[in-house]
Amino acid sequence: MKIVIAGAGAVGTHLSKLLSKEKQDCVLIDDNEERLAGLGDYDIMTLCESPTSIRALKDAGVQGADLFVGVTPEESTNITCCSLAHALGAKQTVARIDNYEYLAPQNKAYFQQMGIDSMVYPEMLAAIDLINGLKMSWVRQRWDVHEGALVLLGIKLRETAEILNQPLKDLCGPDDPYHVVAIKRGDETIIPGGLDVLQLNDLAYFMTTKDYIPYIRKIVGKEHYADVENVIIMGGGKTAVRAALTTPDYMNVKIIEQDAARCEKLNQLLIDNSTMVIHGDGRDLGLLVEEGIKKTQAFVALTGNAETNILACLSAKKLGVRKTVAMVENLDYVGMAESLDIGTIINKKTVAASHIFQMMLRADVRNLRSLMLVDADVAEFVAAEGSRVTKRPVKNLGLPFGVAIGGLVRGEHGILVNGNTQIEAGDSVMVFCHEHKLGSVEKYFKKNTLF
Amino acid sequence: MVNIRLVCKIIGSLLFIEAMFMAACLIMAFGYHEDDVMAFLMSTLFTFSGGCLFLYFGRSAENSLSRRDAYVVVTATWVIFSAFGTLPYLIHGTISNLADAFFESMSGFTTTGCSILSDVERLPHGMLFWRSLTQWIGGLGIVFFTIAILPSLVGGTVKVFAAEATGPLRSKFHPKLSTNAKWIWSIYILLTVCCGIAFWGAGMDWFDATNHSMTTTATGGFSTHNDMCAFFQSPAIDYTSILFQFLSGINFTLLYLSLFKMKFGSVIGNSEFRFYFFTVVIATAVIMLMLINQLDYDTEHALRSALFQVVSFMTTTGIYSDNVAQWPHITWVILGMLMIIGACAGSTTGGIKSIRAVMLFKVLNNEFRHILHPNAVLPVRVSGQSVPQGKLVSLFAFLALFIIMLIVTAAIMIIAGIDHTNSAVIALSCMSNVGPSLANDIGSNMSWAELSEPVKWLLSLLMLMGRLEIITVIVLFTRAFWKEN
Repeated sequence: MKIVIAGAGAVGTHLSKLLSKEKQDCVLIDDNEERLAGLGDYDIMTLCESPTSIRALKDAGVQGADLFVGVTPEESTNITCCSLAHALGAKQTVARIDNYEYLAPQNKAYFQQMGIDSMVYPEMLAAIDLINGLKMSWVRQRWDVHEGALVLLGIKLRETAEILNQPLKDLCGPDDPYHVVAIKRGDETIIPGGLDVLQLNDLAYFMTTKDYIPYIRKIVGKEHYADVENVIIMGGGKTAVRAALTTPDYMNVKIIEQDAARCEKLNQLLIDNSTMVIHGDGRDLGLLVEEGIKKTQAFVALTGNAETNILACLSAKKLGVRKTVAMVENLDYVGMAESLDIGTIINKKTVAASHIFQMMLRADVRNLRSLMLVDADVAEFVAAEGSRVTKRPVKNLGLPFGVAIGGLVRGEHGILVNGNTQIEAGDSVMVFCHEHKLGSVEKYFKKNTLF
Repeated sequence: MVNIRLVCKIIGSLLFIEAMFMAACLIMAFGYHEDDVMAFLMSTLFTFSGGCLFLYFGRSAENSLSRRDAYVVVTATWVIFSAFGTLPYLIHGTISNLADAFFESMSGFTTTGCSILSDVERLPHGMLFWRSLTQWIGGLGIVFFTIAILPSLVGGTVKVFAAEATGPLRSKFHPKLSTNAKWIWSIYILLTVCCGIAFWGAGMDWFDATNHSMTTTATGGFSTHNDMCAFFQSPAIDYTSILFQFLSGINFTLLYLSLFKMKFGSVIGNSEFRFYFFTVVIATAVIMLMLINQLDYDTEHALRSALFQVVSFMTTTGIYSDNVAQWPHITWVILGMLMIIGACAGSTTGGIKSIRAVMLFKVLNNEFRHILHPNAVLPVRVSGQSVPQGKLVSLFAFLALFIIMLIVTAAIMIIAGIDHTNSAVIALSCMSNVGPSLANDIGSNMSWAELSEPVKWLLSLLMLMGRLEIITVIVLFTRAFWKEN
């Protein structure tokens, strides 16, 4: 599959690295030689040209491209180059945008006409992630499938959990309302089998249905965690604005921003919102105490600086905030931040890149996200008519090692999958697999073309 | 530090490929019922078990290839391939001395084409085929060959490729390296097959045609006859040989663009190709005139001999169709220059590559203009693309190293008691992977066998350096390379 990416910024480089590991044909265009220089060790082709040059796009082979991705820092450049790429024959185009309006459903047809098939707004995606995390403070990561028919929860296991040190086959039999689909222990990611056990300080990923979330909360012993009502956000960037706008009504949000002019701007942006904007430094403990950090259940650090965010979260933890969220843009720090026990890590790059990544998988993958903290991918496949998965029950499928099926959505209903489940055509199936093994899973869900 | 286990693992798998090639020679030997069947059977087995042994050492290798590892892999692969390549010679007894065998084997893989065998015609067919095959594999690079057929074998393919590839600028025509490699090998195979058919049509028997086509497209120069192309005394064979040497000297990426993408414009507009083409034309014209005036050749013969020699030396094939030793001395100088320059980067040839010569001339030209216009910003453009300053510095570093190596080697040759002309010519010939040298005493009329043993080892190393463009090999001998951090 051929993918052309315009813009070797954070998202573009991350995406092209992912793609080169996936053995896809990837061409990266950027007009800055220095930004391309670091990519010499990856198996991709780089072109040092302007992404809006028609000749450069032709040189990159846009005519035969299956996907064109515009992720330069400039929104207008992205829209222009996507438009051009579409006109030159790219099958699908994705543009990174900076304007919330563009995402509105009524504008979709208009953008389609311009040759832009889909748009990503990384700040928006990050904000949704963030708010999902805050809604349930006892969860590290939450992911709703099909408007919540199935739910994936990443939970850190503490001493209070009831399910430690027992083999999984005793814990969750075929009829239990949850599955443990991945475990992160130290630096290691396990796609567990029946004999694996959960240990203290594991980050366990549970697949369940909405009705059983309280049950999960009980078994992991987190019932005493207070719900988040008061939130302090440090840093008033775009993600903070989107987050403040998407918070449910019961949450009170305070944004601490260092720059006075930006504070004014924030007030304009958040005009219909109850959010309070505070001018000051989020690392100033006195200020935090004054603003009621003791009564705050969640502290979110969203400045552009990963180090600041991590440190601020640590000091908030010291002051007794149970739930901290840090935005860490430097991928190398993600693991370190995790080991420092900062609750949730947000990374715009991975969010945006996995969002785009899903578009290129050929099978009908609706949804894919890198679990970021673990080396595993979650993907949602729709079983095609006559595909291999529909032929026999799950336990007889012979799925490769390191691949687990978590659950499926049939019609509107979420169903957990066990060995005896028979997958039917049209089911959306949640698949967990180790590091980019998606390609080998994909073929199980596609119609077998040979016979 | 260097990930020795991983290096072993990669080399182990590569040795299986070498064993496979030996097996091909075994079939050849078997077909002819000659006395080298046993030699190839044993060589295949030894190489195969060598591969197993290396794999055993590297069985639990951590699969991350650093930049250092890539350099070790490439250099070690060439050395070990050559070492195992000596087995057929030694076991069969064609060459009894290890230094000689290694020299012959290295000369094959690096497509240098200088042979210590004074009489190749008495060799069995299998052995001749093995000599040609070593050149054919070495032509585009051993590791590059592997990238094409087994892309997953080498973890950090891109790094390894960068360590083996020749030329100062790298260009890709497809995003994936392995697809690039496959196309380039397809072109190589296509060239070889066409060349073989053409030779056969021009009157060679099929065995000669096969061998000569392999060594011609590899621009190596091993032959199945003592007199090389002069043996056939056929203008048709000479012209075929000239054509395919010339084609093999073109950058294979360009060949791909013109053959499969029909982009002839990009070939004509390519500075390197133009330089290569015009150098051949001008050098041929000069030599031809000299032959006509001073040696009374008729026009066709002069053209053919001059063109053959010019192409043969510029593409670093190094074969003769005429007795060059009798030619005016100034032609030797011209041919010597061509040896240094070599043909295009990304082809099967050696030397410093035309593209570096192009860049060098542009830099020199800019330098003179700079004296007149001190504030002018003068870009160095190759095929319409500006060359970054950093690349120019590397260019001069490479040229300096090349010259230093030449002088040092020539000096060592003189110390070893070889006369001045030959010393210079041997050094040049090995550095540029040309093969036979010019003067009377060595090459054309005699063999390399009479060099002393240490000199042969040294020249083997030099051929390797020439093939891997010096820096890949020398970097292994720097202190920084072996430091912990």
